[in-house]
Amino acid sequence: MIDFSHASKAYTNGDVVLDDINFSVSPGEFVVITGKSGAGKTTLGRLLIRDLLPTKGKIVIDGEDLSKIKPKNIPLIRRKIGFIFQDYKVILDKTVGENISMVLEIGGYASKKIPEKIARLLEMVGIPKKENLFPGQLSGGEIQRAAIARAIAADPPILFADEPTGNLDKDTSIEIFKLLQKINADGTTVIMATHDVTLIDLSPARHLTLEKGKIISDSEKKTSALSEPSPTAKTKRKIKK
Amino acid sequence: MNTALKNIRRTPFQSLSTVFVVSIILFVVGIFSLVTLASHSILLNFETKPQIIAYLKDAHTTDQVAGLISTLTSTQGVKNAVYISKQDALELYKKSVGNDPVLLGTVTDWGIVTADILPASVEITASNPKSFETIVSIMGNSDIVSETPAGKKEIDFPEDVISELTKWTNAIRTAGLLLIIALTIVCILTIMIIISMKISSRRMEISTLKLLGAKNFYIIKPYLTESMIYGLAGAFFGWVMSYITLLYSTPFLAPRLGGVISFPVRPSIVLILLLALLIFGLALSLISSLIAAARFVKRSK
Repeated sequence: MIDFSHASKAYTNGDVVLDDINFSVSPGEFVVITGKSGAGKTTLGRLLIRDLLPTKGKIVIDGEDLSKIKPKNIPLIRRKIGFIFQDYKVILDKTVGENISMVLEIGGYASKKIPEKIARLLEMVGIPKKENLFPGQLSGGEIQRAAIARAIAADPPILFADEPTGNLDKDTSIEIFKLLQKINADGTTVIMATHDVTLIDLSPARHLTLEKGKIISDSEKKTSALSEPSPTAKTKRKIKK
Repeated sequence: MNTALKNIRRTPFQSLSTVFVVSIILFVVGIFSLVTLASHSILLNFETKPQIIAYLKDAHTTDQVAGLISTLTSTQGVKNAVYISKQDALELYKKSVGNDPVLLGTVTDWGIVTADILPASVEITASNPKSFETIVSIMGNSDIVSETPAGKKEIDFPEDVISELTKWTNAIRTAGLLLIIALTIVCILTIMIIISMKISSRRMEISTLKLLGAKNFYIIKPYLTESMIYGLAGAFFGWVMSYITLLYSTPFLAPRLGGVISFPVRPSIVLILLLALLIFGLALSLISSLIAAARFVKRSK
């Protein structure tokens, strides 16, 4: 599903952020990428959504080489990846419902079905009936949940979470992590970038460690439940669509 | 539409000033359209009236007149040539003076005006004032055209009036066109700057939308809608101002142009003006917002 092959990224000032990255992610897998700040986790995510291009190597998603993709098709690739941003990137003067609605509109959802879908998503992420509130009226954990709801709104097959617990207390972090596990159990491939190593102990998920732009370890820890979604989970995703 | 209206509400003064600029520009466009239409009517009125009148000697035959008219009508630039007999001339005279007993000669020592004292004539309407010279030359060579005691052919033609009028009409049209072009550029730049500023002020939101998979059209759609609202609102207010100006100037214009243009101006013309201004306003707003959006698309990834 996702294949990084000798991918490197250097900025024009010569800083090498990622160096010869090789790894693949199978459908339904839950991968945790850890590393200190500046290790290259965010850059890896940006490469995945084609916000950046690798300076060397290639990145393939669903058989499409991101370096060769036509500019007009970039939005289509981005719609395959739900992205939870480190700084949330929720639009502050739009309500939670409007923030989620945008993604559904972009994905071509019928307007009539959008309110019902939003209500269902908010229920799922644990902030029911908050669609009419503005982000400023929510707590940090609630904003993060709203950002997760937005990221998974259009049922993307892949979810990339960039430091989803970075600004949260321990209990809320665990809740968010469990929520991501739940999303993964429903059949979505989840890649979570975090510097919070305590979360890794909570899950048997595959664990990649980045240091100074290189992968220094790949646990390849997988459980059958996480690496391959159950037939029930796949059916659930189809029903949601 | 909701996003566009929200954008307008967020920056009410920017929006108001844009609508104001568009209104003023389209008001000027509306007024110049009416002036152009009026000058066209005035010119048409002059052009469709007989422009050259050649008075004939009393001694002329029907064949001679038919020959002259045939020569004239086959000449390039002649729209129409009509023979006015003495009797026709009397009827025209009576029609022009009405029932004035002095002018009809019924209360003077001169006696009643009769057909005998009026000359027959040939009235020619030219399609183009440039053909006057040829027409006058043909008439001048005709034996049946009467002469003054000084030996000059009796041919009347308001060459100067027509050419002056044409010159003025063309000048008004050219000046109007240049002014409209200049104002159009101002209008496009104003809308473009406002929309560019709005796009720039929301670049964080736009970059987020792009990362979420939005296509450029989805992103620029609210700005295009907003711009179209400015164009349509500006066109409507510009039309209202033009119409008010027209209504207030009608008492001044009616006695002066009453014979040429019918006052009050027909509602159909006023509605056509509204439609034309709306289309023009819409086109201007679309062009300017598309330029602003194209710049944004070019700059963004």
